[in-house]
Amino acid sequence: MKKKKWLPYLFVAPYLLHFLVFVAFPVLFSLVLTFHKWNIISPMEFTGLDNYTRMFRDKMFWKTIGNTIQFLLVHIPLQLIVALALAEFLNQNIKLKGFYRAAFFLPVIVSGVVVTILWQQLFGFDSGLFNRLLTNMGMDKVGWLIDPDIAMNSIAIMATWKNVGLYVILFLVGLQTVPPHYYEAADIEGATHWQKFRHITLPMINPTIFMVVILSTIGGFSLFIEPYVMTGGGPLNSTLSSVLYIYKQAFQYYHMGYSATLGFFFAFLILTVVMLQKRFIETEEVD
Amino acid sequence: MKKILVYLLLSIAAVSFLYPFYWMVVASLSPAGDIAGLVFLPSEFTMDNYWQMIAKIPIGRALMNSMLVATITTFGVIVFCSMVGYALSRMEFKGRDAIFYIIIFTMTLPFQITLIPNYITMVELHLVDTYAALILPFLLNSFAILLFRQAFKTIPQSLIDAARIDGCSEIRILFQILFPNIIPTIVVVGILTFMNSWNEVLWPLIVIREESLMTMPQMVTLFSVGGRAEGQLGVKLAAAVLLALPILIAYAFFQKHFIQSMASSGLKE
Amino acid sequence: MAIILFGSCSSKENGNKELLYWSSNNAAEIDFTSDKVAQWNADTSHIKMSFQPIPEGQSSEEVILAAVVGRTTPDIYANMWQGSVELFAKAGKLIALDTLEGFKEFILERCGQKTLVEITSNDGHIYQVPWKINPIITLYNKAMVSKLDLDGMPTTYSKYLAAGAKASQDQDNNGYIDQWIGYTEVKVIWYQRFFNFYPLYLAASHGGALVKNNKAAFNNEYAIEVFRFLQELYKNNYFSKEQSAGGQDRLFMEGDILTQWTGPWSISHLDKFKPAGFEYDFFPMQVPDNHEGPIYTYADPKNIVLFNTCTQPQEAWNFVKTLITKEGDKQFLEISGQLPRRQNIDKDAFFQDYFVKNPKAITFAKQANFVKGTDNCEVIVEVFDIISQEYEACVIYNKKTPEAAIADAAAAVNLLLGN
Repeated sequence: MKKKKWLPYLFVAPYLLHFLVFVAFPVLFSLVLTFHKWNIISPMEFTGLDNYTRMFRDKMFWKTIGNTIQFLLVHIPLQLIVALALAEFLNQNIKLKGFYRAAFFLPVIVSGVVVTILWQQLFGFDSGLFNRLLTNMGMDKVGWLIDPDIAMNSIAIMATWKNVGLYVILFLVGLQTVPPHYYEAADIEGATHWQKFRHITLPMINPTIFMVVILSTIGGFSLFIEPYVMTGGGPLNSTLSSVLYIYKQAFQYYHMGYSATLGFFFAFLILTVVMLQKRFIETEEVD
Repeated sequence: MKKILVYLLLSIAAVSFLYPFYWMVVASLSPAGDIAGLVFLPSEFTMDNYWQMIAKIPIGRALMNSMLVATITTFGVIVFCSMVGYALSRMEFKGRDAIFYIIIFTMTLPFQITLIPNYITMVELHLVDTYAALILPFLLNSFAILLFRQAFKTIPQSLIDAARIDGCSEIRILFQILFPNIIPTIVVVGILTFMNSWNEVLWPLIVIREESLMTMPQMVTLFSVGGRAEGQLGVKLAAAVLLALPILIAYAFFQKHFIQSMASSGLKE
Repeated sequence: MAIILFGSCSSKENGNKELLYWSSNNAAEIDFTSDKVAQWNADTSHIKMSFQPIPEGQSSEEVILAAVVGRTTPDIYANMWQGSVELFAKAGKLIALDTLEGFKEFILERCGQKTLVEITSNDGHIYQVPWKINPIITLYNKAMVSKLDLDGMPTTYSKYLAAGAKASQDQDNNGYIDQWIGYTEVKVIWYQRFFNFYPLYLAASHGGALVKNNKAAFNNEYAIEVFRFLQELYKNNYFSKEQSAGGQDRLFMEGDILTQWTGPWSISHLDKFKPAGFEYDFFPMQVPDNHEGPIYTYADPKNIVLFNTCTQPQEAWNFVKTLITKEGDKQFLEISGQLPRRQNIDKDAFFQDYFVKNPKAITFAKQANFVKGTDNCEVIVEVFDIISQEYEACVIYNKKTPEAAIADAAAAVNLLLGN
């Protein structure tokens, strides 16, 4: 019995060590950094709340949050509609289901770097595939990545293409939890397809919708590699995401303290948004 | 009639997911002049883009680095996280609940907070430009621990008791007796960890500067963003194809497992 | 680990008989350096020199920064962008070279008073040895100039714009212009302004400053007119806004653009890849119509520094000197094609045979009398980045007037500098 006393601690020791080094210390250190000015090579300089006041006046930082919101406003509805539609189709007892599912899922597993390099070509202005298709159909070229009003939407479309396969699967799981006799009952009452979808399917898969919204939100808030590779944050900073901006502050200008401040605040913002979403969707469910 | 419409829509969707990959592979095998007009087939196939890329960047070395890092990380996660998961689900000790809540808390913590301090830790520990920098931070993660904890909970207590009576050590119980019973969980954790490690790019960009230590996504990103591709599309695409290839091959063999694993990671909320 | 640390400590205590030198990883420079290092080690017995190209990474600035943070800097580093020096100097990581015996005299003789002033830090010390430069000037396609029947070379803003009108053409009649007077990188990344805004600004302002006395110094008619000139080029589609897939080198070689702003590296690149019969030459940057006097440009200087980890600075300087003597400079020029930052190199008889053999290089040598690097400012990268942001908004997307863009940039720089 003596042995048993320390053994569990041995089992969790690697985790605790890891937690201290890579979670607890960083969080505390980050908090300390937010009150300092530090470019890594010179000594740290205490600056009180300067970083915070600077953040509230930093128009660029707020623009990055606006950009993120713009991304989410396109990405989330698109993702929900496409994923739900494809899942609904797949759920109708069709042949080659495995093939379709595998095809939709392919972009999910491939590195974001691959997807961005590929779509950068598809979005090309002069000879990109999309613009060639448009000109062949006699339409004007679109500045997918070079028009400041469009670029973020283009990235949102690409991100949807990359992730939607995962959500198709999640919705499919959700759809299969709907008991078939609900539909049978509705059929007897002569309900249309849309009515069945609206009044049976949607309420039943509400938890899945909630999950998809949360996951997409978190994913959208960590948008980095897509603008980093495709646009560098341009044109006119229209695709500058908050994470890219935080990265630039730290690793291009070496404003470690300021970057930590932005990171801290941004993390706080994410938690708040996710919590609000949770609250909102839960009250919806109660209704 | 309605069925046909469904099939039609599904097929359009499938094409829109598959065709870009097809285009990428074919474009990477096309002569430079053909890519701008490429739709289905180039005038001829050539490996030129690949040879040029290999001449420009040590992609083979990067592939080895990625393999090494992803493999070690995956093994580490399976060993360490299963130990924690086992302790949390099958051992009684003081502070168990506290640790469980810490794990949940860590899960909700956005990485933006820890990014810079973690970089500084790496600098202070002299780990910048080492494999350790790429592996250590990822050796344990909350989600894998929770998956293991869940899996061990489903195992009947009698199995563990019998082994304890036989005098098996807890380590043997865990790795020899319980592991064969939770293979699906191990596969899920393994695939997720390997894939995340393989595709990780932000962290390597920060802690690795030396070319000989760069992972493949990092190298391909820098190649694509920086000037070394000299604006040659085909060469960039060839690099992208090589980066995608290992995961695509694994996907071809373990497609169902991939989908299950990813779906379970989606279900974590 | 402990053994390694201990080992390196004890070797330092033994008098540090070896100095470590990092060169750039340009192949020609590696050749040059290994030759010089071998020579030094053959001639000198009490101090050995070892060298390696800087470990490859994202950019040499980042590698150096990581080395400084990790305290693994070399004794001598020979590829420091002039703009980075002030940052490291202020952090106390560099050795003040003017405290070394013979330094100032040597540099004054080699580079002249103007350069000496340019490299003197705000604290009055000098932390860098000016080494090599690559001035940015205008490259042009000879055949296209005669084909377009231009009214003289496009040397001023209005001549360049007039030439732009002639050069923009839709060659294959598909409704999109496919021949331009020039192309310059549209990316916002700060260093791209070395190849458009900054040399044009230096040309117009006779080598004026961006930052002076810790204040923005570019809110003037020169910067505004440069923005207006570039904005006109984009507004009229004389320049393409698209990020060119083939890069500007390709556009130039294929005759899609008439001119390009570039450095001497284009000579070897073109001679290697140009189509048969392709003819080109160089001339200075464009200037305002009423410009008088010499035409300056940006030199893109890369310099040599000693890190404070070096325990034998005088010996290190003695070695550096062997790189930049007249003989050293000439050998470097011949191997690399980059210009040493030596005054009157175009007139010095000692270098003449090189320019006879390489006639295209003489334009750059003449230009070297009128070049500038960057201002000594700790945050110069961010200054360029701020200008880049306004450049994109004003020049490329025409969302702001040049006056407003320059004023906003100056205000942002002043905020950054803490005024």
